[in-house]
Amino acid sequence: MSAGTPKSLASSGQKPIQEICHPLGAEEAATAGVLTPSPDIGNTTGSIGGKDLSLPNGTPVETSSPASSSSLLNRLQLDDDLDGETRDLFVTVDDPKKHVSTMETYITYKVATKTTRVEFDLPEYSVRRRYQDFDWLRTKLEDTQPTHLIPPLPEKFVMKGVVDRFSEEFVETRRKALDKFLKRVADHPVLSFNQHLNAFLSTKDLNKRQGLALLSKMGESVKHVTGGYKLRGRPMEFSVMGDYLDLFTQKLGTIDRIAQRIIKEQSEYLVELQYLVELREYGPLYTTWAASEAELQEPLEGVSGCIANCSSALDELTEDMSEDFLPVLREYVLYIESVKAVLKKRDNIQAEYEAKLEAAAFQKEERPAATQVPADVEKCQDRVECFNADLKSDWDRWQNNKRQDFRQLLTGMADHNIHYYEKCLAAWESVIPLLRDKQPQETETEED
Amino acid sequence: MMAVSGPEEIAVIGNTDLTSAELENNIKNTMVEIEKGTSLLRKMEISVGEAEKRTGKNTVNMLEIYTVYLIETRPVDAVTEGITPAPDSLWRRYSEFELLRNYLLVTYPFVVVAPLPEKRAEIVWHKLSADNMDPDFVERRRVGLENFLLRVASHPVLCNDKIFYIFLTEEKGWKEMVYETGFQAKADSRLKAMNAAFRVKNPDKRFTELKHYSDELQTVVSQLLRVRARVADRLYGVYKVHGNYGRIFSEWSAIEKEMGDGLQSAGHHMDAYAASVDDILEEEEHYADQLKEYLFYTEALRAVCRKHELTQFELEMAAQDLASKKQQKEELVTGTVRTFSLKGMTSKLFGQETAEQREAKLQVLAQQIEEGEETVKEKNTESDEFVKTAWVDIERFKDQKDRDLKEALISYAIMQISRCKKGIQLWTNAKECFNKM
Repeated sequence: MSAGTPKSLASSGQKPIQEICHPLGAEEAATAGVLTPSPDIGNTTGSIGGKDLSLPNGTPVETSSPASSSSLLNRLQLDDDLDGETRDLFVTVDDPKKHVSTMETYITYKVATKTTRVEFDLPEYSVRRRYQDFDWLRTKLEDTQPTHLIPPLPEKFVMKGVVDRFSEEFVETRRKALDKFLKRVADHPVLSFNQHLNAFLSTKDLNKRQGLALLSKMGESVKHVTGGYKLRGRPMEFSVMGDYLDLFTQKLGTIDRIAQRIIKEQSEYLVELQYLVELREYGPLYTTWAASEAELQEPLEGVSGCIANCSSALDELTEDMSEDFLPVLREYVLYIESVKAVLKKRDNIQAEYEAKLEAAAFQKEERPAATQVPADVEKCQDRVECFNADLKSDWDRWQNNKRQDFRQLLTGMADHNIHYYEKCLAAWESVIPLLRDKQPQETETEED
Repeated sequence: MMAVSGPEEIAVIGNTDLTSAELENNIKNTMVEIEKGTSLLRKMEISVGEAEKRTGKNTVNMLEIYTVYLIETRPVDAVTEGITPAPDSLWRRYSEFELLRNYLLVTYPFVVVAPLPEKRAEIVWHKLSADNMDPDFVERRRVGLENFLLRVASHPVLCNDKIFYIFLTEEKGWKEMVYETGFQAKADSRLKAMNAAFRVKNPDKRFTELKHYSDELQTVVSQLLRVRARVADRLYGVYKVHGNYGRIFSEWSAIEKEMGDGLQSAGHHMDAYAASVDDILEEEEHYADQLKEYLFYTEALRAVCRKHELTQFELEMAAQDLASKKQQKEELVTGTVRTFSLKGMTSKLFGQETAEQREAKLQVLAQQIEEGEETVKEKNTESDEFVKTAWVDIERFKDQKDRDLKEALISYAIMQISRCKKGIQLWTNAKECFNKM
């Protein structure tokens, strides 16, 4: 079982052409200031399962491999106060529009891009995309970058009849989620250079069927690994990740239930408040003796109106929680699912490697003359190491994004509640002078 | 919690104006030393301090536990001289308050007598117990009893009552004094009369309207109280569920590194938020008590209306009786029988009376008519006086009610403002913690 120390990584020389567009392009390296590898990455020999992984021909593994540098870049980009220089790709999703055709009705969104990257022909783009286009993009990203954590999309299916797919609230909630998705991808040091993303952002008509047929070798190879191997030595850090994700999912589930319960209680409270507002209709207005009740009439109306205002403020609060809070919470649960899937894939890749290594060692025993490690074992080792590195740096970035996202979510929730109470406070404060008002007519007659 | 009228606003009901037999008792019970028409409160401070539990044997010789309340009084002058002497005090239980009130009701039927707080807790939202021994209930009852005493002490007529004064100042022997007034007998007959079915031909229209008004007021206030209790119930639920956030944030912080502290402290604020509702609702309960007082006041209003009907009925009966006597006399004199009467029938059957018999009868009738006219005059005066004095007190009550209900609304608004400010504070604290995540 390997220790959790960051390992040296196999060279990336085997990567295909497409993957050369990499954060460690010359100009990127200059701006990032990464010229020498930092010490903690510079392990010259790595090991998995106690077996020496350095290449049999004695070539020392490179220390300044792209993956390790990408994690460095990630760390730089994780600063909250991001200066404009490090970001050169800006995307926005907005302006939803409904399209009605004979076949179907659907919503498209405007996807606007601003960039200085050379990978793009133009500095600005504006295209229209619908949900299935986003879905296509995500699938492509998963296929071509299986070692990375791909952000989630909002839920695909909605129960017709239960939710109105064309209501303003639903469309806005979806738009926000799609915008978030795209921004997360655009901020990712590896994913943002993906060719499919480029196509998504720039081409007028996204021809999804054609697609760029060249998948990365890694993508291909990961795709074809089945879960048939048993994993023996999962590195501690990945186990820790898995455990954390399980616990975190639980917590999110509980929070979701609590939020739903609060929404329910608030709705029931609202119903009772309505009765209170309606009571003013009952006032003893019907007897002549009660004509003098007029003195209480205004204050009663004032209080009743005030309660009505508080009711509508509460209604807004409940709506905000339903529309802003719960969807983001649920999106994270989906995110966690996709991260766990990637962890599983990693496990499978490692398991395959272990199995092949064992088989090779067995063969070596039988034919001691063979000195070469079989090529496919090398490939597996390569795969495992790349995967681990990518995953680890993505994990750090994921954790940091998660912290920011939840900070934003929870402060948002606090804000909604503060605004609710502020509105109620204003309503009640405005009613006090009305209640304290001495009848103006009386004072006037006294002065006469 | 109630607006006490100052001396200048008290209607002067000079006892010298009242001549009817009904009110003669008042003159006997009036303290000669106290200036007529002045509120007792100008002379003394009254408060109901604590409550204590006592055990004793009740009327059927069974052991019972009951609560007694400490009544403290102190002359106003003593305080103004800078020295605050210890107040005089005595203990009274709820049943004694009831006795006092019944005495006042019977003795001053034209007064809208302030109600007592509930004997048993009713119309409560679920969290409050309906247990009479519950300390919160006992406390609220203490406040209610004090309020009752202050109401009576500030009433222009009731404040002069001797029995009331002794209730406040002498623990022993008070009960005997009350019974000695003989009010019990009057109470019984009055109770019988009030419950009897009778129809009044010409009630004063204002009283009919007042009765309708009090019915409507009762309906509205009891509905209001019911809805408020349900609203309180729901509000409680909303606040308490937020306490779950406290727990989950604490659990969650255990699996986080950087976010942990922020989450943990935010969780504490969520706990504080959930806990804050207890005080809020307890305060609201006092507001509900103010409304309840007016709910019970409607009974007092109806009692006054009923008394008017009774008086009016007696007047009508007396007038009817007189009219019938006059008619009998006329028939006897003229010899014609207009209306069917047993006398007429028997005289037809058995022959006319002798002249002497007729003369005797005429004399009796003349006497009865004279007495009847006196009675009618008395009853008329009684009725007029009652209407006059009752209406003065009703106007007083109306002004008091308007003031009090307005004050209650203001208190409620202030309570809501305080609740909103607290909510803002707690959520702002939580937000600061979230920002540190």
